[in-house]
Amino acid sequence: MTPTGPLVELHDVTVAYGRRPVVWNVDLVIDEPCLFGIIGPNGAGKSTLLKAALGLVPLVGGEVRFFGEPLGRVRSRVGYVPQRETVDWDFPVNVMDVVLMGTYGRLGWFRRPGDRERRLARECLDRVGLADVAGRQIGRLSGGQQQRVFLARALAQQADIYFLDEPMAGVDVRSQERIFHVLDDLKAAGSLVVVVHHDLRTAAEWFDRVALVDRRVVAAGRTGETLTPENLQRTYAGHVDVLDDLAQAIAARGRTP
Amino acid sequence: MTAAAGLVSYNTVVVALGVAAVGFAAGVVGSLCVLRKRALAGDAAAHATLVGVACAFLATGRRDLVTLLVGAFVAACVGLGMLVLLRRFTRTRDDAATALVIGVSFGLGITLVSGLPAWGYANSAGLEQFLLGHTAALTARDAWLLAAVATVAVAVVAAILKEATLVAFDSAFAAATGWPVSGIDYAVVGLVALMVVAGLPAVGAVLVTALVVIPPVAARFWTDRVGTMVVLSGLIGLVAAVAGVAASATRPGLATGPLVVIAAAVVFAVSFFCAPHRGWIARRAEASQGMASQWSDGEVGP
Repeated sequence: MTPTGPLVELHDVTVAYGRRPVVWNVDLVIDEPCLFGIIGPNGAGKSTLLKAALGLVPLVGGEVRFFGEPLGRVRSRVGYVPQRETVDWDFPVNVMDVVLMGTYGRLGWFRRPGDRERRLARECLDRVGLADVAGRQIGRLSGGQQQRVFLARALAQQADIYFLDEPMAGVDVRSQERIFHVLDDLKAAGSLVVVVHHDLRTAAEWFDRVALVDRRVVAAGRTGETLTPENLQRTYAGHVDVLDDLAQAIAARGRTP
Repeated sequence: MTAAAGLVSYNTVVVALGVAAVGFAAGVVGSLCVLRKRALAGDAAAHATLVGVACAFLATGRRDLVTLLVGAFVAACVGLGMLVLLRRFTRTRDDAATALVIGVSFGLGITLVSGLPAWGYANSAGLEQFLLGHTAALTARDAWLLAAVATVAVAVVAAILKEATLVAFDSAFAAATGWPVSGIDYAVVGLVALMVVAGLPAVGAVLVTALVVIPPVAARFWTDRVGTMVVLSGLIGLVAAVAGVAASATRPGLATGPLVVIAAAVVFAVSFFCAPHRGWIARRAEASQGMASQWSDGEVGP
């Protein structure tokens, strides 16, 4: 199946919780495979925007299209990694069980995962470096390992577009590196990877394109052209706590061409 | 004499079978409910059943089990519906909404059931047995019916175990990958309502939720896999139900429900203390071993 429209297209998207608008008038078009970062301060509505794109929170206005189609028609081509804290890690499943959940969408109702799904799941675990803990209960993993299990589950979806919600939150540096490398491989294989991210330094280092979000899109485009001091100032205005981060990010950007 | 003895024992055996099936199914269905963290939904459904029992009797004038249980099921669903509406339209929090439904529906149910004789419904005697459970009055036909309901419930769980587990573990991922999360939730809660109603004759409205909640919580101590937990929970429910019924048969007038709950609680206590890995003793041993190895690590140093 060849894409008939832009990979992802958000048009005039507005989301509200109750009567309080969280993000508004978001226009965003991503038309080629890349590593795409959604960057912004805490409470800027980054995760909400991602959930809205996936139909997990209702839109007050606007529309979202994937490959020029509504999500319902191309769901199997869209992978998702939710925030790690949203699930109970004491749940009685092991690592393999969780990764197999990535195959449920294709399996459909009532069919149980078989040999083919297990092989795929093992492959995905191998890619995130967790093949040796496949049988472990998920609560007995480190935060970084848990995040990689979620990534492996998304890989098992065999999608063309991946959405990741704060995959680096509470994750050790080694797991971060590993995750970024896997995402890079996905991009190289022709997938689009959209990541909600909060750390400006790693953002400048890894993402091809970024959108700076503070309840609306402040700026979007190639990372080098978008992470400018002016744009960052506008995005983080009033968030004094990140000024230090910001300075480092600008410094980091200065080092990379 | 021998014929009578044979008859009694046939009835006893069938009733035991029916109660065992209900206990098993309640444990199986309860696992899904507990994993989805909806343990109190069963309580709301259970306490609403009395209103249904009384209304079914008032509407039909009959007091056979099927009529009363159909009424109980309808009332359980109405109670759960109220729960959903309260949460959606009044922004009452989950726990408060549940407590509200439990209290109000139970108050209404008790008023109806206890008031019926005073209002001239002399033949309403026996309805109050649904309060604490009484298997002595169950006929073989009733027991077969309960067993059939239990079988259907177990079959449905077996069919949707994959989907229900996904929703219970990660509903956002389930929704993002196209699964009808609320539909699956309604199915699970509907099954809980069904098992609460099926458990009503044996355990009674006040305590039947324990038959849905205690077995899965006890089973969780022994295993880290959903499939094993579901089966184990069913077996615990079965044992508790049969043990409770058998114990209540030893003395006339002993209500079944409390004994079933006590039997389940004993299994829970054993699980809590003795289960490998997750049990209290095992965890204490693990903790002290960890301490010991830390000490020995210290001694290895230069």
